[in-house]
Amino acid sequence: MNIIGPDYLIFGVDDVAACTEYLTAWGLKPVNVTESGGLFETLDGTGIIVRHKADPTLPPPLPTSNMLRQQVYGVRAAEDLDAIEAELGRDRRVTRLSDGSIEFKDDHGFELKFQVTIRRELDMPAEKINAPGAPAQRRPNEIGVWEEMPALPRTLSHVVLFVPDIEIAARFYCDRLGFVITDVLTGAGPFLRPRANDDHHTLFFIRTPEYMKGCEHLAFHMGGPTELMVAGTRFVKKGYQSFWGPGRHKFGSNWFWYFNSPLGCHFEYDADMDKHDDTWVAREAPMGAEASQIVLFEMREKWAPGGPPPGAKH
Amino acid sequence: MSDPTALLQHTETRYLLCRASDIGEGEARGFGPLAGSRRKIIVLRRNGVLHAWRDACPHYSTGTPMAWKTDAYMNGDKTHLTCHSHHALFDMETGQCILGPCLGQQLTRVNIVVGDEGDVFVAGPTEEI
Ligand SMILES: [Fe+2]
Repeated sequence: MNIIGPDYLIFGVDDVAACTEYLTAWGLKPVNVTESGGLFETLDGTGIIVRHKADPTLPPPLPTSNMLRQQVYGVRAAEDLDAIEAELGRDRRVTRLSDGSIEFKDDHGFELKFQVTIRRELDMPAEKINAPGAPAQRRPNEIGVWEEMPALPRTLSHVVLFVPDIEIAARFYCDRLGFVITDVLTGAGPFLRPRANDDHHTLFFIRTPEYMKGCEHLAFHMGGPTELMVAGTRFVKKGYQSFWGPGRHKFGSNWFWYFNSPLGCHFEYDADMDKHDDTWVAREAPMGAEASQIVLFEMREKWAPGGPPPGAKH
Repeated sequence: MSDPTALLQHTETRYLLCRASDIGEGEARGFGPLAGSRRKIIVLRRNGVLHAWRDACPHYSTGTPMAWKTDAYMNGDKTHLTCHSHHALFDMETGQCILGPCLGQQLTRVNIVVGDEGDVFVAGPTEEI
């Protein structure tokens, strides 16, 4: 089961126009988007699909106020879909669609779809830094930042779900779909990565009461911490609401910046996440402010020391 | 006046938030934060009556800002004051959370008075705001 990670997340929203504005400002590209919604994609083609909550083509809603309707996972090849179908078909209905993709529900009732991934391979440099003692990553005269520098989400990174039972959730994704636990925040839940992705996590669970079941946040990989902070700063300047960050998480080492959204969950820019292989031994730490981040900042308006000395004549 | 924070002048114990005519029926806007506070004050009009709430969702103990964009405090159907962290819906008149993570909890009301000229002031102490 070569599962790579989320290709699309599908939402049934109450204000398509607001979501269209938001997702475009976030840095996603609208693809065939109309008044009834559509796809907003990252640079590699993964992204968010929104439709009005009354759209009959949407998978059914969760029994909460959460707007997430379906998580669409990408796999490497058609054989992986066959393997998933064989495994999940043992105890639940698996629907095979005409395009070869398969649909079923996880043990908490979240709608899932698996398809041969649509993601395009990216060929772009990571953020480059220079430091004494190491070879320079930027050539002479190659500058690090400029006002109009691009800072667009490169790919859908991970989803975080509110679930009532961590055991049930972790067992389902690990035992049935081959995910691996990379680290555990006790009191919240485990970080998981699928077999065909070496990112620290594409999935994380947070234990909550049943009535909160849904998507807590979703995240996009940026080209580095500078891109993350540039994108977030531009977003705040347009009037969007920061929720948490910028900062850098401990588990996963990724930089983060979370924002409120009209999709009923947080949106996160992330950057520079750890990679793992099967030799990694999961760590465990109690959930809390210390465990959750190594640094945390809050944006302020641009300011610089200077100006005329006190009492100077203009 | 383009910057709403400029409206926040100290007049004895009353803080000027906005003019009553700034808030149409079914609309909500954020003002402040008042000096010394981290959170704005949401002023909305429902059935002709103005209500004010601290812009702090009770889901987390510190209270978190609720809009997804400046002044965007309502759900898409414009039926409820909404926290756009996790789409918690609040009754506009009672501040009660009726759906979402903070189900059963309540927003903190900010007492306001409308002066003769139509100015909307925070009434009483503002330390907790
Ligand atoms: Fe995240």
